[in-house]
Amino acid sequence: AAVRCQHYTPLRALQASAALRRASDEHKEPLTSSSQQHFDSPPAGHQPEQEPQGPRPSYTGQGGQESEDYESEEQLQHRILTAALEFVPEHGWTAEAIAEGAKTLGLSVAAAGMFHSDGSELILHFLSECNTKLSKLLAKEQKLVQLGEAEKKPIDEFLRHAVEARLRMLIPYIEKWPQALSVLLLPRNIPSSLNLLTSMIDDIWHYAGDQSTDFNWYTRRAVLTGIYNTTELVMMQDSSPDFEDTWRFLENRVADAMTMSNTASQVQSTGEAVVQGLMGAAVTVSNAESSRAVR
Amino acid sequence: VNQVFESVAKKYDVMNDSMTLGIHRIWKDILMHKMNPSPGTLLLDVAGGTGDIAFRFINYVRSMQERRLQRKLKNHQNLSWQEIFESYQKDKFNSLGDSQVVVCDINREMLKVGKQKAQHLGYSEGLSWVLGNAEELPFDNDKFDVYTIAFGIRNVTRIDLALQEAYRVLKPGGRFLCLEFSHVSNPLLSRLYDLYSFQVIPVLGEVIAGDWRSYQYLVESIRQFPPQEELKAMIEDAGFFKVDYENLNFGIVAIHSGFKL
Repeated sequence: AAVRCQHYTPLRALQASAALRRASDEHKEPLTSSSQQHFDSPPAGHQPEQEPQGPRPSYTGQGGQESEDYESEEQLQHRILTAALEFVPEHGWTAEAIAEGAKTLGLSVAAAGMFHSDGSELILHFLSECNTKLSKLLAKEQKLVQLGEAEKKPIDEFLRHAVEARLRMLIPYIEKWPQALSVLLLPRNIPSSLNLLTSMIDDIWHYAGDQSTDFNWYTRRAVLTGIYNTTELVMMQDSSPDFEDTWRFLENRVADAMTMSNTASQVQSTGEAVVQGLMGAAVTVSNAESSRAVR
Repeated sequence: VNQVFESVAKKYDVMNDSMTLGIHRIWKDILMHKMNPSPGTLLLDVAGGTGDIAFRFINYVRSMQERRLQRKLKNHQNLSWQEIFESYQKDKFNSLGDSQVVVCDINREMLKVGKQKAQHLGYSEGLSWVLGNAEELPFDNDKFDVYTIAFGIRNVTRIDLALQEAYRVLKPGGRFLCLEFSHVSNPLLSRLYDLYSFQVIPVLGEVIAGDWRSYQYLVESIRQFPPQEELKAMIEDAGFFKVDYENLNFGIVAIHSGFKL
């Protein structure tokens, strides 16, 4: 699980750090101390929150102070985006929401200029946070099972539970989520969003444990991705109380997947049978032709 | 520097149009688009003499407000006529959304031209004109959301002082934006550009504004100005973070941006 956490750092964090490393090469000593001061003063009463993102990739800067600068700029961006999330239901996934978020931290609204005006970073940040939350939840439950305090769920129930838990995190933002989905489809964002999606799916399978199925790794990933994506789309249009239609849809899809896995072993023998059937049909046809020709 | 601009003040806009073939308008539009000001932004436009950036800012903010109002009304489909009327009234007073721009210039003549233009074009609210030196701004600390300097920093004697002042007057989280002529790296384009600058522009200066020398000075000052990376380093030295630049027209012009974090 420790290795997996690296997936959760969105690609943009790497880009930011690369730019920063170039920048930090040019920083001088007195500069870093003054910038430290500035970072400490603005947010009134706002504690620098513990980053929930697990082991952050460590970029060893040119010394303790530089790497602290790096963290503070990245951290500041994370804090702005997290603060911006509460304004999303009202303003959507836009630079406006980010500007409002920056304002609550005591920064100027111009700080939203650090991010793209289409809100891409905000959405990716949100996805990353959701994935981290899911991972933590699954890890906690796994621990309970290991300690014997809970029953190990059968695979279909586990998948349903994991997907439902993850999709429920969208509920506060569900009105503006379709907008987010369309932004995630922009060519610029596809690598990052795909990365986050696959790491989430990987994570779920990891915690599902090694259940014996006849699937190989790729098929398992593809199947669960399909289940997740279709359920997400259904959820967008669901108006039933507490999204019960969505969960029922999810249950059916997972059941389908399970049936598929049972027949997977049969597929091979079925395949052979089909081939033989085709061969037989070909033979029959050619016999019929030749017999007709003879007549 | 002061004398150069006294003589060019009246013909400044015309010369801009003819020198850059009108493209300077696009550059300034791009700058505004990059800034993407939110409602309630306080902008300081330094060396903004004739008000080009300021007017664009006001236009941008107004149109954003209108769009916001439209969106809000779309969500309130079942209001009574009375409520709709009242909401229009309320937002009429707020057509700028509390955004304001302060235009600061070292040259009184340029400010005069700017004020006249504002009156002529009908810009009345949210605009103020201040006489001041970029190296020593007459403003308090932590006051502005955005600081812009469009085609002005080239004329500042001590650029580092101007950058430090910019840092001082910006609020935490505030943004520094600089639009300026810069270096063209493409060799072919560079030669064409040099040809144009040294042969055509002073001639235009003589013909249109009757002033060869000022425009000769202009072209030379562009060549002497530090290139993109060097200016970026200077901005970082002043304390700005996330400093970046965007080349327009292959480096003829560049927009540098930094944040006070």
